[in-house]
Amino acid sequence: MIIECRNLKKTYVADGQAVTAVDDVNLSIAAGDFAIILGHSGSGKTTLLSMIGGLTTPDSGEVLVNGIENWHQSDARLTEMRNQTIGFIFQFASLIPTLTALENILLPLSFGNRKAASSRQARDILAQVGLKDRENAFPAQLSGGQQRRIAIARAFINQPAIILADEPTGDLDEDTEQEILAVFHEYHRQGTTFVVVTHNVHLADSQESPRILHMRKGVLSEENPARTRAA
Amino acid sequence: MQILARQINVLDYALSSLWRRRMKNLSVLLVFTAVIFLVASFQMTTGALTRTAERVLENAPQITLQRMSAGRQVDIPPEYAARLSSIYGISRIVPRVWGYYFDEVTGANLTVMGLATDRMPMGDQLHLALASGSFPGPGSRGSVVLGRAVNDMVQARGSHLLSLFRNDLSMASFEISGVFADATDILTRDLVVMNIDDARDLFRIRGDRATDLCVYVTNPNEINTIARKIADLLPDTRVVTRPQILKTYRVVFGWRSGFGSICLLTALTAFIILAWDKASGLSQEEKREIAILKVLGWQTADILAVRFWESLLVSGISFLVGVTLAFIHVAFFDAALFRPIMVGWSVIFPPFHLVPEMTAQVVLLIFCLSVLPYLAATVIPAWHTASVPADSALSGA
Ligand SMILES: Nc1ncnc2c1ncn2[C@@H]1O[C@H](COP(=O)(O)OP(=O)(O)OP(=O)(O)O)[C@@H](O)[C@H]1O
Ligand SMILES: [Mg+2]
Repeated sequence: MIIECRNLKKTYVADGQAVTAVDDVNLSIAAGDFAIILGHSGSGKTTLLSMIGGLTTPDSGEVLVNGIENWHQSDARLTEMRNQTIGFIFQFASLIPTLTALENILLPLSFGNRKAASSRQARDILAQVGLKDRENAFPAQLSGGQQRRIAIARAFINQPAIILADEPTGDLDEDTEQEILAVFHEYHRQGTTFVVVTHNVHLADSQESPRILHMRKGVLSEENPARTRAA
Repeated sequence: MQILARQINVLDYALSSLWRRRMKNLSVLLVFTAVIFLVASFQMTTGALTRTAERVLENAPQITLQRMSAGRQVDIPPEYAARLSSIYGISRIVPRVWGYYFDEVTGANLTVMGLATDRMPMGDQLHLALASGSFPGPGSRGSVVLGRAVNDMVQARGSHLLSLFRNDLSMASFEISGVFADATDILTRDLVVMNIDDARDLFRIRGDRATDLCVYVTNPNEINTIARKIADLLPDTRVVTRPQILKTYRVVFGWRSGFGSICLLTALTAFIILAWDKASGLSQEEKREIAILKVLGWQTADILAVRFWESLLVSGISFLVGVTLAFIHVAFFDAALFRPIMVGWSVIFPPFHLVPEMTAQVVLLIFCLSVLPYLAATVIPAWHTASVPADSALSGA
């Protein structure tokens, strides 16, 4: 299992009111899976992704990525894991406004291995998401959908084994959405593992044999549990 | 190699990051440069004053004697010197004649000093205080050594002679045999030094009399004891010792007041920087940037390294520019901006030329009190932000 969540629980307290965002979630994801998480707003989807990526500390339970528990390692190792293994696509705009599109895409590369080759690679990915000619544009000069595509390109630059995507096609028109889904499909075919939070029904149709999961008030359930065990 | 390449990449990112926020960084740079400029100027000015005074006073007599009558200073007859010979420990007693001369033409006040250079200890080394020329030799009459301002005045008249009037309005003319060095300006600017007999002639003082007696002692530790003995023996004299003069100088502009002011200014600087930093803190945009970088897998150390280089560049440039400007300010503009503060000094001294003191300690002190606090004030908040979980970036906060 590339991702393993055990009895994961997270409760937020805001204004004296406790909200259980993630309630005793167990989830196993094998390398090469394409998992889609559906759920209402506020059901805890982002919180779950955030704990898998080692950004939010769970109240109880554990998350194993490649067999290593996120919180049993130092912050530096956890950060390194996130950098090398995970590509994040945020729910909200996440570009640094003072950097150009290309510079934003290069951000995940560590200082140690920034080379000219990286820029070429970044331009290839930029072409894949259909923004070949906008590499020097600043985020403010791009539409919301274009910014989203830059953020998607950035998630792929380190060729991570896992993509955690939070509403990746939220503000894309249908044509662009198809382009992005094709990119996902291509990377999935090459073996990348996806965990995607979405409302988008096309997404489920676009990929081969996706796993469909539902989140309701912090509780996760699988549409066809039999297949989970088969996988 | 790996480490070097890494630091170059970090530096590269820091530079572009500085450039991205150039307006903010430029304003910090300006404020910071101004503060360092003020502190450094002040430090160099007080340093220059103290050092100059101390250097000049090193050659001053250990004890100076003046005779007082009805609260006024009067001439000292030669018997006084003879009576001091009974005191053990005095190595030498040298007469001196000095007085003020008011120049009607220019309205300038000159200080005229008549020395018996041949009788002074180290009298043969007096030329070290000169920029050019030499002191009038023993018995050589009719020549003078001038302070810079007096010399300028004479040169402006297109003359090679200094002409002074005696009380009876007869004229005495002197050849210029030397000019004092800039470094002694604070004490010599308006000075005219001549042979003691010329000075007696100018001020109409009787041939064997003097205005002061300079007393040199064998053992410097006995200065105070000997001064007390002189005061007992000659009750109508005022006895001034070199340590007393030195102390007065120090109280006026010396290291005590200088040091006090530096502490004050430094506290002020630290306060300004901290207050400014508190007020601006990490902007929402900067916090968001740090959170995004954390999510993308930037190590806290890398985030801080960038911040460190940014701060070091800003404060380092401010430091270099501020100190350089301060040096120019003090050396070439005689600390013109401090003239209003130095009113107290200019009452005592005529306008003088400053030779700035820039010792390694001073530079190091300013560095420690400016660059280091700034680094701390900028890197520590970033460290706080970078050490907390970065999930706020995900929720779009
Ligand atoms: N930092 C936080 N502090 C307090 N409460 C929080 C915090 N983050 C999330 N919550 C709460 O936890 C619950 C789950 O939030 P989460 O963001 O995971 O939902 P979501 O499924 O991603 O919703 P959406 O589809 O709107 O993005 C919500 O009720 C939310 O208010
Ligand atoms: Mg969400």
